[in-house]
Parts: sequence; C-alpha cells; structure tokens
Amino acid sequence: MTTAHIKRTALYDQHVALGARLIPFGGFNMPVQYGGILKEHDAVRHRAGLFDLSHMGQFILKGENVPQWAEELTVNAVSTMKPMQARYNIFCNDRGGAHDDVIFYRLPDRWLLVVNASNAEKMWNHLNVHVGGSGVKLTSLHGHNALIAIQGPKSVEMMKGVTDCELGDLKYYFCTEGAVYGKRAVIARTGYTGEDGFELFLDGADASEVWQRLLREKEADGLEPAGLGARDVLRLEAGMPLYGHELTEEISPVAAGLQWAVKFAKPEFIGKEALEEQARGDRYPRIAGIVMDGKVPAREGYSVFLDGAVAGEIRSGSVAPSLGGKNIATALVGKEAAVPGTRLQVEVRGSRHGATVAEQPFYKRPK
Amino acid sequence: MSQPQELLFSKEHEWVKVDGDVATVGITDYAQNSLGDIVYVELPKVGSTINQFGNTGVIESVKAVSDLFTPVSGEVLEVNTGLETDPALVNREPFGGGWLFKVKLSKANETSHLLAPESYDQLVAEEGR
Repeated sequence: MTTAHIKRTALYDQHVALGARLIPFGGFNMPVQYGGILKEHDAVRHRAGLFDLSHMGQFILKGENVPQWAEELTVNAVSTMKPMQARYNIFCNDRGGAHDDVIFYRLPDRWLLVVNASNAEKMWNHLNVHVGGSGVKLTSLHGHNALIAIQGPKSVEMMKGVTDCELGDLKYYFCTEGAVYGKRAVIARTGYTGEDGFELFLDGADASEVWQRLLREKEADGLEPAGLGARDVLRLEAGMPLYGHELTEEISPVAAGLQWAVKFAKPEFIGKEALEEQARGDRYPRIAGIVMDGKVPAREGYSVFLDGAVAGEIRSGSVAPSLGGKNIATALVGKEAAVPGTRLQVEVRGSRHGATVAEQPFYKRPK
Repeated sequence: MSQPQELLFSKEHEWVKVDGDVATVGITDYAQNSLGDIVYVELPKVGSTINQFGNTGVIESVKAVSDLFTPVSGEVLEVNTGLETDPALVNREPFGGGWLFKVKLSKANETSHLLAPESYDQLVAEEGR
C-alpha cells in the first residue's frame, strides 16, 4: 500500500498538532503514541486517556429481521439483546475460524455494528454477500463517522457537564443517545482497556471540536491523548483478544478461550458444526496467558517449549506496567501447555527463557 | 538539535566518547526518542571482541525490538549493569547515565568512519523530514 492510499481520520490534524507518532494501521494514518506509551498507559489506569478509534468500521444495520439474520452469521446471541444494549460477538467462517470480532449496539431504530479496521472491507463484503433476501439494509459509515473513546477511572467524572446524559447510571455494555458538547452522539459504556469508560460515536464533522474541548477542559483532571501503542498494552493486560493475534481465520473463538461467547444452543450459525466438534474433541491448540520469569520481553512469533519440545508460539507480548513491569504474553499452544501453572520456555534470539502459564485476565481493575 | 560536541556518531545513531584507548558507547537522544519507552537492553559480554558496525546487542521498546550496533572495534571492558534494573535510564540520560558499554579500542584510526556532531545533526535533520 502506498502512502497515497492511506486515509486520515477526522482527527488527523489534531494528532499532528499534538506531535503524535503516526503509523499506517487498518488503512489509516493512526497515532501510535503521543507522550510515550507508558505515560499514556498510566493515565488510562489512574486517570483517563482519550483515543481516536475512527479507523474502526462502523456499519448501520436496519430492518425488522436484523436480529434473526445476524443470529445465523454470528456465534453469540443477538435477538436477546435489550434496547440500548451492546454485546461482543464473533463472525466465523465455516471451519470455525474467526472472520472478525465485533460489537453490536442495539439502538431504537437501528443497529450499530463496529468491526476491526483491518477487517472492515472483508466484513463489508461478508455482510453484503449474506444480506440476500433478508430485508436487512446495510449502510457503511466507515471513514465518515468518528469514534472517540475516553477510558479510565475518572471517565464518569470527566463526562459530567459535557453531555446531557446521566452516564453514571449507564450500565456496562449499554449505550444511550444524546449530545456531547451539543453534538449528536451514541455514548456507550464499552471499551478495550480493562477500565471504566465510554465510547462516543459521532459524525466526523463534529469530532475535532469534541476532541479539542475534552482535552482542553479535562487536562487539569489528568486527561491525556493516548495512542494505539498504549491501547495494545492495556487490552493485553485486560485479557482481551486482538484480531490477527488471538483470533484469526485459523484461530477459533473456542481456541481463543472465548467459548462463553459461543451459544451452541442456537439452532444454526456459520461455523457451528466445526466449533462443536472442536470443543467436543478438546485436542485443539489454544490461547494461553504467559508470564515471563525475567526481563526479556516475549514477542509475536517466538517459539514456546514444554519439556524441551515445541508446544506453540507467542501471539502477543508486552511489558505489563500494571503487573509491576513483568513481561506478559499470549501463546497458541497444545492443551497440556495451556494449563495454568505449567512451566514453559520461550526462545528469544536462540536462548530459552522460563515462563509460567497464568490465568487471564492478567489485570482486573479495582472495584 | 545540537549534539554534545565531545562525541562522535554513527549513522545507526550510536555515540562514542573516546578517552585514550577506551571508548564509551551509547545511543543518541534522537535514537531513544525514536524508540520510545525502552524496556530491555541486551549488551555484549564483557571480554568479548566486537567489530565496528557489527551487531552487538538488542534494545527493546514497548513495541519494538531494535538491533544495537557498535561504532568501534575492540574488547568489551564493561557494560552498564544499571540498565538491567532500569533500562529507561537510556531514555532519561542517553548521553550520561544511560551509556551502554565500554570498549578497549583495537583500531584507533577507524573513528575516521564516524560522524562529527555537525554531520550527525544533518543526518538527524534529514531523517526527521
């Protein structure tokens, strides 16, 4: 992909003005960091961070049949969602591999489907292939709408006076429609950091003003812009999968440890048989959390060993500031190597380093 | 940006301070800033022989693994063991407490392959563009 094809979000000029380091991600030039990944991570865990997630795909689904139609395309339940509820879900291929992991938001007159930036085009095609005679009407807001996330323990406090909605009463994984600085927005209590917080879905034309005012007015309370670098560390600590790492066309939701999201009681959905067979057989390689003994970070692609034999490979790895700077990782390994407490070795540049399988999430926020 | 005047520089963004036949090596402020938060540093072994511009270790930031090269040849006399517990010292004091290793120079004339501060300034200005 040449730079000419890399798009900009509505907040691109804000990132440049803030001195962000920009990298191409999911077809957009995105801020990987502003003041530093560890500093931004600290802001989100202890105060709040502001993220531009406008690169993510936002699709609108309309029609009476949306829930029934979506049930057959996804592993989790859709029809049981209450009005204004949000729910994590996964689209699979017929081998049970993950096509994408997404969130459905049930709004009064429509559904909002948020997909990964890197999968937006694939998902748009997938939805259109399956829309058939369902009567469901699809609209893509990708690249048009903006998504700003405010994440961190001070989010509720910071949003007071900014919106006309009582956000303190909004339940986790529910949303509301209202105004943010007078701009129409869907405000959802969702996120990808392991902290309390909100995601604000806005028209792209309104995004800059909301972003600027939030940063300007809440800076004194500790709000900082945070980039994709910090987001990746935060989500890994919180045990949340990242598509392309813990979930792929080959790594199924069952293998990723997301069986809680797979509703086998549903009569039919793409990938159901393959997932049932996988779960029943229980012999599949699976995602395990790993904590390294020492200071050497584990990185994607490094080989993992159990009793001297290759057991699998690292899928994500990072230093974990919320675990006192320990190095954490996920690995795709055989069943025996995925049991918490199991001792493993990770090969880093030709030498093997000890590690222990750990329960995920690595980090849980204090209640 | 202006570099410390007593140092020489490599195109790979290492600095060298030569004192007699001993050289102290580190990475520049530009380099640490480009890398971001440094979380792990792997240095050459004391007593090992290293060759100019050869790969002598690894510097890891939160997001990336970067190779470390030596700007001079010689025997490694000492490494900065303080970086084992506090690798971020390279971020805070790249030209001071965040030095990486010391080398007993085996080829004194090879410093002619290094850049003077003003040439390094120019390199950084071009890369930053």
